[in-house]
Amino acid sequence: MVEAITPIALQNDETILLPERIGDLTGLDQFGVGGELLAAFLAAFIVGNLMLAMTGVAGPWAKRKITAAFTDRIAVNRLGPAGLFIIVADSVRLLSKELVIPEQADRPAYDLAPIVVAASALLGFAVIPMGSGIHLADPEVGLAYVFAIAGIASIGLMMAGYASSNKYSLLGGLRAVAQNIAYEIPLVVTGLSVVIFAGSLQMSTIVEAQAATLVPLGPIDIPAWYALVNPFAFVLFLVANFAEVGRNPFDMPEAPTEIVAGYQTEYSSVYFVLIYLGEFLHIFLGGAIIATIFLGGPAGPGPAELGIVWFLIKIWAVFLLTQWLRSAVPRVRIDQMIEIGWKGLLVLSFANLLLTAAIVGLIT
Amino acid sequence: MSTELERQQRPVEVTEGELEALIGDRALARDDHLNAPGFVVRPDDVQAVLTDLKEQAGFDHLSCLTAQQYEDRYESIYHMKKYADPTQEVSIVVPTSIDDPVSQSAEPVFRTADWHEREAFDLVGIDYEGHPDPRRILLPETWQGHPLSLDYDQEKPQIVTLSEHANPIQPDHHDAESDTMFLNIGPHHPATHGVLHVKTVLDGETVVDIDPDIGYLHRCEEQMCQQGTYRHQIMPYPDRWDYVSAGLLNEWAYARAAEDLADIEVPEYAQIIRTMGAELCRIASHMLALGTFALDVYGDFTAVFQYAFRDREVVQDILEDLTGQRLMFNYFRLGGVAWDLPEPREEFIAKTRDFLDELPAKVDEYNDLITGNEIFQVRCTNTGVLEPETAKDYGCTGPVARGSGVDYDLRRDDPYGYYENLDWDVITKDGCDNYARVLCRMQEVEESAKIIEQCLDLLEDWPEDDRTVQANVPRTLKPDADAEIYRAVEGAKGELGIYIRSDGTDKPARFKIRSPCYHNLSALEEMCEGEYIPDLIASLGSLDIVLGEVDR
Repeated sequence: MVEAITPIALQNDETILLPERIGDLTGLDQFGVGGELLAAFLAAFIVGNLMLAMTGVAGPWAKRKITAAFTDRIAVNRLGPAGLFIIVADSVRLLSKELVIPEQADRPAYDLAPIVVAASALLGFAVIPMGSGIHLADPEVGLAYVFAIAGIASIGLMMAGYASSNKYSLLGGLRAVAQNIAYEIPLVVTGLSVVIFAGSLQMSTIVEAQAATLVPLGPIDIPAWYALVNPFAFVLFLVANFAEVGRNPFDMPEAPTEIVAGYQTEYSSVYFVLIYLGEFLHIFLGGAIIATIFLGGPAGPGPAELGIVWFLIKIWAVFLLTQWLRSAVPRVRIDQMIEIGWKGLLVLSFANLLLTAAIVGLIT
Repeated sequence: MSTELERQQRPVEVTEGELEALIGDRALARDDHLNAPGFVVRPDDVQAVLTDLKEQAGFDHLSCLTAQQYEDRYESIYHMKKYADPTQEVSIVVPTSIDDPVSQSAEPVFRTADWHEREAFDLVGIDYEGHPDPRRILLPETWQGHPLSLDYDQEKPQIVTLSEHANPIQPDHHDAESDTMFLNIGPHHPATHGVLHVKTVLDGETVVDIDPDIGYLHRCEEQMCQQGTYRHQIMPYPDRWDYVSAGLLNEWAYARAAEDLADIEVPEYAQIIRTMGAELCRIASHMLALGTFALDVYGDFTAVFQYAFRDREVVQDILEDLTGQRLMFNYFRLGGVAWDLPEPREEFIAKTRDFLDELPAKVDEYNDLITGNEIFQVRCTNTGVLEPETAKDYGCTGPVARGSGVDYDLRRDDPYGYYENLDWDVITKDGCDNYARVLCRMQEVEESAKIIEQCLDLLEDWPEDDRTVQANVPRTLKPDADAEIYRAVEGAKGELGIYIRSDGTDKPARFKIRSPCYHNLSALEEMCEGEYIPDLIASLGSLDIVLGEVDR
């Protein structure tokens, strides 16, 4: 659990992080480093499970319901209220399937790939401030960390692609890499423009900076969320993010109907579940990053304790958007996507960065 | 009313005398068919005669090739037409000896002869000299014998093995020197619309070469039809060719051929019902084509796919009311249809009118969602380009040809049913690409709606004592011995033709199906070489093939 042992010295002084709070509550902090480690582990366990539970709801149930709503259907409604118990049924179904491993698969890589994909997304949540005191670690380089760790997923996809010893998988893996390289740079550069505003890479500072008032509108103060301060960067980031997590209209790496299921063609049973979990976690992580650096993190009306609720609503809004696009937007072709990435988004994101730097420089 | 006017300048009719002069000494004899004059030529004159007919007399459409075996000879019949006027037809009959059935290939003159001659070799056993690719096409490579030849033992089961000395799992680099990769797309693949196997050679993501491998769904439809009696036993089969909802259109192909063969008049009232039913089928079929094409381009079972199915469902309900079935209609009879509109008539007519009233709004919705979408346009324009001349060379018809600007629609050009008395337009698009084909289908849906609307008006006001749904047709039909006919109708996918040869019994001696999908699919190679995999998939989708009709 990397997030748990992040050096405490780097933390912002005012924030009390979840591991400390748990250490306090359970009395574990009296037992020195061992106790702190255990507290940190407990905290990571809670956050990890929260995210996995969300994925569990999203995959078998919410995705079906949302898509059904877009396409004039009803979807699951037999098991439990609104079909919610399908989650249980699907979990049992997926886990009880036979694990078929191709004979010529490159074994360690083939087995590791699903874990890399799922773990890289899960690790990203370590530095996300989710409100209500749920924040695992707050290093000064938080934003850089989250981009770096999310980027590891492409290694997993590439591994899955070549280790499956299937040509469709290989094509999918190659596409995933090409796509991630093309969109990682615009993503990070657009994220940098936020850093210029906030003056810090630290997540908690970025969130705090957005608490200021942009314009007072009668009794309501419109907060200085960076989505409102710089909507251009917000849109750029959103688009690059969809490409980064491989969602429509940029779902080339899987591209069912073209290359069957891309890198995940040969994965079944538990491995399939892991890859799927990883994908949803990546969507949620993308949503979490967007919420944190553009939508004020856990900020929202009501007492601060409601932070986590607002935060989850923001994540789910991004998820809803991905599903909407999935239902309504055609997929671009691989060469067109690369073109959009290198010739369009990259140029625009640098323009945005320069412009932001100039404006911030002028104001201060 | 207007349709006769729209076909501007039909080419001047080539008289039989001119044909005789053109073919000259090469014509050994005449072998006229009910639909066209027939000329018997020697096996080594095929290319010369076809070239003359194509270049000097304007017969640019090799509609079909029928191969068959008689007691004393094999015979290949090249059914030729003109794209500009399909009522002008000529048949070139090429007999070959029973001991050495070798005939000259027509492939250099018409590309479409490639697949046709492979099929003739496969099923009947005629060898075509000079054919670039003389392999079996429908049956497995190692199949023994030719199932439609007379000496074939139909009762003997066969175990089909893989080819000798071929290792099916050996590394399959297409060419050791180059960087290309061989990829099997299908027969189990999410986007092949059935069991199609496309052997693809890729250079990165670019398609270098493709070879469609068909026949996985071959069900001996031609032979089954040869074993059924004209009157009742054949009509159920056409529903199973293009089985995705174009049933009535297929049934009409058989009905038209058999009625012309046995000289049966169809009452006007029945023709109107047929026309209405056929156009309903066309709408259902085009809706499915639209939905699955969207599936190929969007990449998932998205809104467009579901909307298309939602709207197709309404058509299916109407067809169910009319015929009692949702897919395998078996509604046409020789000389008419099985029964009149369902009672209460008003309810049926009102239901159909409701559908037609809602259709324009739905088409607008599709235009908003699909054709107006910029990503969709970027994906579909200038991909899968099929030039008009290439389309003709491959015998493409239907929306595929019309999307390439070939103004060819048998409903107008070779009128049957009640079409010539109705007011509607033939849609053509000049784009030649995937986008043009989609637009073409969407607008054809609107034209079909117009036709149905007019049919409903006619049916509603038709005097009650004149509602004859079937002509008097003898219980047993025995057309004249040695009568031969080739007739086509405009199916959902294009020109669906039937060749029947009668031997004087109540069953056809040869029953040949000319499938539009077969021809359209053969042009895929031209459309997608040099393009990317996603375009290959999109082009395949835009051809709207149904493997049941390709493989028969």
